[in-house]
Amino acid sequence: MIGRAARSEHVSGWLFVLPAVALIGLFGIVPIIWGAILSLQENDLLTPPTWVGLDNYRTLIHDPVFRASIHRTIVYTLLFVPLSVGGALAIAVLLNARIRFSRFYRTAVFIPVATSTVATGIIFNWLLEPTYGVVNYLLSFVGLGPYGFFQDPDQAMYSIVAMTVWGWLGFDVIVYMAALQGVPDELVEAAKLDGAGRWAIFRNVVFPLLSPTTLFLIVWSTINALQVFDEIYVTTRGGPLQATTVLVYYLFNQAFELFHGGYAAAIAYVLFLITLVFSILQLWVGNRRVYYS
Amino acid sequence: MKRVVSLVLPLLVLLLAAASCGGGGSSNGVVNITVWHGYEDVEGKAINDAAKRFNATHPKIHVTVQNYGNADYALQKVLTAIRGGAEPDIAYLYGSWAANIARSPAAVDLAPLIQSDPSINWNDFWPAERQAVQVGPKIIGVPALVDNLALVYNKKLFDQAGISYPSDNWTWDDFRAAAKKLTNTSTKQFGWAYVNDASEDTVWRFDALLWQAGGDILNSDNTKAEFNSPAGVKAATLLQQMATVDHSVYLDSGNGNYANLFNSGKIAMLFTGPWDLSSFTDVNYGVQILPGDLNHQTISGPDQWVMFDKGSARKQAAWTFLKWFTSPQQSLQWSLATGDLPIRQSTTQLPQYATYTKKYPGAATFVLNEANAAKARPVIANYNEVSQAMGQAIQAVLLGKAQPQQALDQAAQKVDSVLASGQ
Amino acid sequence: MRLRLPFSPRHLVLLPLSAVMLLPLAWMLLTSIQTLDESRHFPPQLIPSGIHWQNYPDAWNAAPFGRYFANSLIVTLASVVGNLVFCSLAGYAFARLHFFGRDVLFVVLLATLMVPFQVTMIPTFLIIKDLGLVNTLGALIAPNLVTPFGIFLLRQFFKTIPIELEEAARMDGCSRLGVLLRIVVPLSTPALATLAIVTFLWTWNDFLWPLIVITSPSASTVQLGLASFQGAHQTNWTLLMAGNVMALAPMLIVFIVAQRYFVQSLASTGLKG
Repeated sequence: MIGRAARSEHVSGWLFVLPAVALIGLFGIVPIIWGAILSLQENDLLTPPTWVGLDNYRTLIHDPVFRASIHRTIVYTLLFVPLSVGGALAIAVLLNARIRFSRFYRTAVFIPVATSTVATGIIFNWLLEPTYGVVNYLLSFVGLGPYGFFQDPDQAMYSIVAMTVWGWLGFDVIVYMAALQGVPDELVEAAKLDGAGRWAIFRNVVFPLLSPTTLFLIVWSTINALQVFDEIYVTTRGGPLQATTVLVYYLFNQAFELFHGGYAAAIAYVLFLITLVFSILQLWVGNRRVYYS
Repeated sequence: MKRVVSLVLPLLVLLLAAASCGGGGSSNGVVNITVWHGYEDVEGKAINDAAKRFNATHPKIHVTVQNYGNADYALQKVLTAIRGGAEPDIAYLYGSWAANIARSPAAVDLAPLIQSDPSINWNDFWPAERQAVQVGPKIIGVPALVDNLALVYNKKLFDQAGISYPSDNWTWDDFRAAAKKLTNTSTKQFGWAYVNDASEDTVWRFDALLWQAGGDILNSDNTKAEFNSPAGVKAATLLQQMATVDHSVYLDSGNGNYANLFNSGKIAMLFTGPWDLSSFTDVNYGVQILPGDLNHQTISGPDQWVMFDKGSARKQAAWTFLKWFTSPQQSLQWSLATGDLPIRQSTTQLPQYATYTKKYPGAATFVLNEANAAKARPVIANYNEVSQAMGQAIQAVLLGKAQPQQALDQAAQKVDSVLASGQ
Repeated sequence: MRLRLPFSPRHLVLLPLSAVMLLPLAWMLLTSIQTLDESRHFPPQLIPSGIHWQNYPDAWNAAPFGRYFANSLIVTLASVVGNLVFCSLAGYAFARLHFFGRDVLFVVLLATLMVPFQVTMIPTFLIIKDLGLVNTLGALIAPNLVTPFGIFLLRQFFKTIPIELEEAARMDGCSRLGVLLRIVVPLSTPALATLAIVTFLWTWNDFLWPLIVITSPSASTVQLGLASFQGAHQTNWTLLMAGNVMALAPMLIVFIVAQRYFVQSLASTGLKG
């Protein structure tokens, strides 16, 4: 594309993105470059650092805790993303109707998202407490349990998944509900007149039109799932027996509890690369299959 | 996902110079010094009162006390204030940071001051406190707080089970038997509680048992682990038996539930310190020294006031304040106001001491118990790595996922390589 | 024979779901009306012996919460406005305009979300320090004025708007900015409302960043104020929960008000579900 019209589009494009790029450049890109430099140092963040080049990365490759934490992080992500995005879609569709109490339901679904992580952690610690907790108490009536949940190395990660899905569903629901407003009624009406049933309408009309949003939520949830930390910090602290030590938790422990800042930054960069690969893959696949009207 | 993080978080809190509290220096002959602390509520009021009293009686010095927020972040706040030249004259820091703060040239080595000024009466402080501030040849702080672990028990539960209260020559076997008798699965009552989050909270209770069995954490020059000795295995086996065989131990996940459970009458005995006593409002509790093996040693967790070099006039003023604040009379006044244990041994001889023990039931036993804090944890910069290795080993044993010898050996291996690399 | 219920079957799912979702609020409320002694029990006593409303004024007065609320509101509103403006501009450009390096730039901006905050917070602090903004509200606002999340969200929404509308406007001589403001934005109120709510939520609940960069009460936020209820050894649960309930209130108000922007309009027949 050449010519004045094309050039003016280039200029316009850049002008439109300039404020965002400037701000994100300063507060996003510069820190990331700094972090990259940090990963090449041995730095306890308190006293002057020493340069070690790629040593941190070399050590990482042989670090069994690091490898295990990658594995755990990916397992967590593969559980969290489908459950939260899929669940949110179902709930948004259910909520998108003129039924009584819909306002109440919407607010209720939103509350976990608005609740601070500290409060959420306290609640789940109580609910899932093995001896005195409510969940085991209720399960005992149907002959199940008692389960260790956060205190059982084999169950801790799944308990974290449950807790985080609970805490973030509402967010995805809001996004889906907004997107549902953009589905033209005429299309739905037309499909109904053609004799399509509810499920067919959903599959052939609604879902494709929601696909840009679905892509967005999948990419966004993946980026966040790969960085999960807060909820683990207020409950299991990476345990028991490191069962919930995901990448960011391991990084945090290295930087702020053991004073290995440079090593932590190296971990962060490996995580960055993993996230980048996931996201690019998803965007690439998504852009081929997403339907933009 | 929003980065909302919980509060007990040692993060890098970078504090810029001018913003907070550089204040100090001298004006018309009066030397101004600042003291940073993390006291709230009762203690906050006590320190404000103390500063007022000092200023009234010391016209040439003016002390300003400032709350720096949660003491958990104090180390980073102070060290980065140093980078900006805005550190205070005195700061309250946790004992576990002694080795780290000693690396900063701004922290004053008090050894020469103590040598030249006998009025501080250094040996009057409890041995555990003095050990905690000794980093190699340097002394990097004046004791600010002392505590220790003792056996706190619910008298009513003991009465109900028909067991006599713990005596001061209880053995591990007595303790284990009592815990078993005090456990009732149908009423969900436990004989004992143990914090099992693999943090230092998990480790330091084990340390007391390790020392009681005659063991040590590291060797004398801190180059190798020794906690996997037969003494260590004996201590870990006690924990294993009580948790996995007797099922008499409530494993607390680090969220502080044990205190509330104890207060609700669901746990009969705790190894805990004086800070928890004020939460036990619904329990008629008793305090006894720890059950022992070869001895009844306990572990102490002292904190200190660290002085920073802001010039000789201010150093002198800060020293004067610290001597005053930690003197027997002032420290007893502090204890009366806050319930904290007296930081000097001679305090127990003062006439008002009886008022203190009456006001704070159980405190007297804790003070006596301080004499049992014969050993201290190694004061080294990478102690956290040792703690983590040990914590994970003990957690595995308590969960029944590892055998004591094997778990401790694995931890010892990790610790040895950390100590060897000097990292 | 189809079962005919007197109410929509959706309630069978939504009601239990809501109960599960509302659990935290219920627990927070219960704890906030207990006395401190009552709260020191585990398992928690679910049936309160009385309503100790005093916790609320006590929590409010324990620290200058009036100031904190004001600060939080200023910072949050500034972030919302900033994001709405800058993310719309950028989102539109990424959605509709062809310019050199567009797709690479998009990935680069998105990539800034992929490095954990625990690492970037230190250099971000140093930048804020060099700008002389430490311990000011500016430090809280500046890094949050625009987020790649918002750009991504709006880009996806803008792409679903029929391009014919925009092309028609362009042919009528409308500038690109005009198209954005007069055609695209009015059709995107659900997405904009979503972005506003989400930005409000994050900024309001942000704890870690304010903790690092604010040191005096005059610039502190509500979340920092709540932190003062958690001491080194003991937490004042009742005041903490009363404080949390009060902190939750503005967000709920915003959400309830903004609901109508992304909710079924009354004229619609609701067949999409």
